[in-house]
Amino acid sequence: MAFKSDMPPGQALMLAALALPGLGVGLGVPDAAAQTLPDSATLSVDYLHYKDEQPGLDRVSVRSPAVRLSLPVAGAWLLEAGAVSDHVSGATPRYHTAISGASRMDDQRHAADLRVTRYLANASVSAGAAWSNENDYRSRALSLGGTISSADHNTTGGLSLGVSNDTISPVNLLVTGERRHTVELQASLEQVLTQRDIVKLDLTHAKGKGYYSDPYKYVDKRPRKRDVNGLLLRWNHALADGSAVRTSYRYYMDSFGIRAHTLGAEYERALGGGWALTPSLRLSTQSAADFYFDPVYDKRFGPPFPPGYTFGSTAFTSADQRLSGFGAVTAGLQAAYSFGDGWRAHVKAEHYRQSTGWRQFGSGSPGLARMDAQIWQLGVSKQW
Amino acid sequence: MASPCELLLPAANEAAAQVLAAPAMAEVRRIEAKYSRYRSGSVVSAINGAAGGAPLPLDDETLALLAYAEQLYTLSGGLFDITTGVLRRAWNFKQPRVPPPEELAPLLALTGWRKAEREGRTLRLPLAGMELDFGGFGKEYAADRAAALLLAQGVQCGYVNLGGDLRVLGPQPDGSPWRIAIQHPRQEDGAIAAIDVGSGALATSGDYERYFELDGQRYCHILDPATGYPVTAWRSVSVLAPLTVAAGASATIAMLKGPRALDFLAQTGCAWLAQDAAGELHSHAV
Repeated sequence: MAFKSDMPPGQALMLAALALPGLGVGLGVPDAAAQTLPDSATLSVDYLHYKDEQPGLDRVSVRSPAVRLSLPVAGAWLLEAGAVSDHVSGATPRYHTAISGASRMDDQRHAADLRVTRYLANASVSAGAAWSNENDYRSRALSLGGTISSADHNTTGGLSLGVSNDTISPVNLLVTGERRHTVELQASLEQVLTQRDIVKLDLTHAKGKGYYSDPYKYVDKRPRKRDVNGLLLRWNHALADGSAVRTSYRYYMDSFGIRAHTLGAEYERALGGGWALTPSLRLSTQSAADFYFDPVYDKRFGPPFPPGYTFGSTAFTSADQRLSGFGAVTAGLQAAYSFGDGWRAHVKAEHYRQSTGWRQFGSGSPGLARMDAQIWQLGVSKQW
Repeated sequence: MASPCELLLPAANEAAAQVLAAPAMAEVRRIEAKYSRYRSGSVVSAINGAAGGAPLPLDDETLALLAYAEQLYTLSGGLFDITTGVLRRAWNFKQPRVPPPEELAPLLALTGWRKAEREGRTLRLPLAGMELDFGGFGKEYAADRAAALLLAQGVQCGYVNLGGDLRVLGPQPDGSPWRIAIQHPRQEDGAIAAIDVGSGALATSGDYERYFELDGQRYCHILDPATGYPVTAWRSVSVLAPLTVAAGASATIAMLKGPRALDFLAQTGCAWLAQDAAGELHSHAV
């Protein structure tokens, strides 16, 4: 093999070295996770505590212990199973952020999911099922997916199809046995860009039919269909000192008229001695649903009725704060400790604040109280 | 190999580790048996034994290694020369004796890669007494072959260490890199630096591996092919490159380049660390 005389010696030397037989392509390509079978099993137990509030009213509190198992089997299969038991209690406004007359609840939700994946040389196939039960809501879902990778595993494409059926029977008997049926299609592309960079794009399209209204809110009538389109772009970057930066952008758009953008970043840094610290920040902004109405009420009937409301009307309308226009910031910090021998523990604290004035690309919905939430997570896991 | 060799990799248990490591260890032994000049059944012994005689037909692997040696000869401006092994007949590093030029002259007449006749699949060393020595890249080649076998079995963490030439397969299981200490050229228990390596190869060439000292002057085993005398400008050079063969060749060529080593290392585009004869540390991207 002859070299051009102007080729830099370093490049020429590497080319010469690569021409040697049987040295393979293994030049330290980073582990682009999820398209190769993990070589260890993991069992993790987590406890999550969520509490939200607005000035003058403590709202919803959720206590959620969960267990998760990931088990590689026979060198080609991966079994994943999880179970969670949420205890939800507290008060939510029946309309907008009105404090008086807030509905109280004390509810237990049990959910479990199971997924089986078969790994092939450059592809994988998976099937999953999920169940969720609470006193007024039941959900069953099935999904099927596959991925295919390039020979060097640097590029992976995936496609998955999911179907879910929900049954809604609110305790106030406003409706009984209402149903909701959703079909979701997701396409993904993951690319290892350099030894230190991986990017992933997920596109989602879902079509749903059925009951979407909130039976616990006064004057809430939503369309009986909802189409959702989503885009999620993620970039993981490993820095030279071993720390990692993970950034993401999510765009959400649905047929209710909601458009939302979320930008997230986290920085994981090993501190030595087995400790790692990860601060994180998430910024989001969303537009209000088309049928959301501001807290300006009908002159004849007063709150909670929207202006021009007529009883028996089939017009879509909602005063749900979650459908309003707002901006939100979540700041978090996680500390993790590796005990060695595969044991790991972590504790994470996040604070969320949602405010009308923080909406980007337009004005937020006026007249709503600010909402804050605290999220604590504690987890222990063992890998073997 | 004449030096300690180890494979480090994570596995569920010792039996599983042995299963993964066995083909890699067998490959290292195979390469040693095939290319050691000390083994009577090796290809190198056969080539050296046929010196001055008929051309010897060679297998694909040996031809590829000879092509690689040719490229190293060209890239180093003639400094990396695998026919200079005969010079060890004048240098016995167990005895502090400096051979005079008259003793080296006839041996130098037997060196010179350009003298080797390569035609098709054959090689002929035209003068009896000429020798080939794969010691300059044999260990590094074995490390890369062993690593390729481990990587092909899905090993993603660990390293292959053949006498100080390291090929890292992947970081430690928790994701943190391996912290590799560079041997201090003058203190047996010391290190001059510690480098974090997540993947790739780290090879070191130094004047402390085989040497003797006489009248305050150190004579090491890395010989300048033009004079037959040892190089003196550097105590050790370590290079980080994706493959061990590339790292090892760069380190050895840098030692041979003497005062021009830094220019050469800068052109390789690799990270490197070197200690000069005065004990000063020079480095790039490390």
